[in-house]
Amino acid sequence: MDQKPEPKEEKKGFLRSMQEIIYGMASHDMSRYALRTRASMEHLFILITMGDMIGVPILPPYYSLRLLPYVVPQISTWKRRLLREKDVSDAMF
Amino acid sequence: MEKIDTALKTTILQHPERRYIMFGGKGGLGKTTFSAATAYWLASQGKKVLVFSVDPQASLSDIFQRDIFGKGPVKILENLWAQEIDADQHIKQYQGEIRQKILDMYGFESVPEEIEQYIQAASAEPAMEESAIFDAVVDVVVRGDYDYYIYDLVPLGHALYYLSMAKVYDEWITKITRLREEMAEYQGMVSRMKREKETEEDQILTELQDIRSRINTSARILTDREKTAFFFVLIPEEMILLDTLKAAGMFAKFNVPVSGYVVNRVVPHELLQQDIPAYLRNRIQMQDRYLAQIDRTFGSQVLARVPELERDVSGTEMIERLAGIMYGQDGS
Repeated sequence: MDQKPEPKEEKKGFLRSMQEIIYGMASHDMSRYALRTRASMEHLFILITMGDMIGVPILPPYYSLRLLPYVVPQISTWKRRLLREKDVSDAMF
Repeated sequence: MEKIDTALKTTILQHPERRYIMFGGKGGLGKTTFSAATAYWLASQGKKVLVFSVDPQASLSDIFQRDIFGKGPVKILENLWAQEIDADQHIKQYQGEIRQKILDMYGFESVPEEIEQYIQAASAEPAMEESAIFDAVVDVVVRGDYDYYIYDLVPLGHALYYLSMAKVYDEWITKITRLREEMAEYQGMVSRMKREKETEEDQILTELQDIRSRINTSARILTDREKTAFFFVLIPEEMILLDTLKAAGMFAKFNVPVSGYVVNRVVPHELLQQDIPAYLRNRIQMQDRYLAQIDRTFGSQVLARVPELERDVSGTEMIERLAGIMYGQDGS
C-alpha cells in the first residue's frame, strides 16, 4: 500500500525529464538562433539610435539621449563587435 | 487716419476653437508686434492668453520691455502671459536628467567617461537646439492652461524646417519602433521556449512611443485646421510678395492651414493730401501697386492692412495702440 505511490512519482518524474529532453533537443537550437538574431538586432538598434558615437548620425541626438540610459551596458560590447573584422561566432557556429 | 479693419477680428472671433494663433512671415515684418497686439486684445476681452516665442533670438522681451528670457511664463498684464524659451537652459536641464537616470538605473558613482563624452558631443550638434525648443513647446502647449496660445514664430524657413523635421523624425521613430517590437517578439519566443516568465515591458519601446507622441503633438498643432489659425504677415513690396507666395505653396504642401494674410507697414494714404516730398509720394504709389496685386492674388484672404506708424512698437502703450488699430479702438 505504501509503495504504490512511489512508482507513480518515479514515472511522473521520468516522463517530465523525457519531456524536457525532447523539448530541449527540439528547441535549444531554435532558442539559440533566436537569441543570436535578437543580439544582432540589439546592435542594429544601438547603431541606429547611438550612431553618433561612431560618427554615423541617424537619429537626432536630442532623442537618442533619451534612449541612452537603457543601452549603457551594451555600448562597449556593441563597439567591440563593430570593430571586429569578422565575428568570432561566425567561425564557431 | 487709423482705419479699423475688422476682417481679422471677425476671423478670430468666428473661430473661438482656434486656440493656437500664429503669425508667420519673413524676418522683421512685424510677427512679434502682431503677436503681442493680438495677445493684448484677446487678454482685454477676458481671455487667458500666453504669447510665447520659439525663436532663439526672441524679441518678446524687447517688445514688452521686460526681461522674460528663460523665466517661464511671465505675467505681463491681467490675463496676459509671455514666455521666451531658453533652449540652452532646456538642454542643460535635459542633460542633467539623462545623467541622473543613468546613475539611478545602474547605481554608478559617476557617469562612465565614454557615455559622458557622448552626452557632451550630442548636445553640441546643431539640431539639438531646434529639437529642444520643439520639445519644450510640447510641454507648454500640452498643459492647456490658457484659452489662447499665440506663437511668435521663427522666420519662415525655420517654421518649415520644424515641420519637415517632425515628418522625418516621425518616420525614423516609426521604423525604430518596429525594430524594437520585432526584438520583443524574439525575446518572447526565447522566453516561451525556455519556459521562462514573459519578460517585463520594454522600457525603450515605451520611450520611443512617448517621443513619437511628443513630436506628433507639436507638428499636429501646426497643421490642425480646427484648432489653429495661421496668418501670413507681409508688406507691400515685390520681393516680400514673391517670397510669401513661395512660402504659402510650401506650407500648403505640409498642410498648414493658412487663415489669411495681414499686410503691414502700409503708408497712410491721407498723407497724399499734405505737402509731402516726392520720395514719400513715390513710395505710396509703389505700395498702391503692390497692394492691388496682393488683393488680386489673395482676394478675401487679405484680412487687414496695418499702417506704418510714426514710431516702433514697444511697451504696453504702443501695443495697446496697435491692438486698437487692428481690432477696434473701443476694445470690444
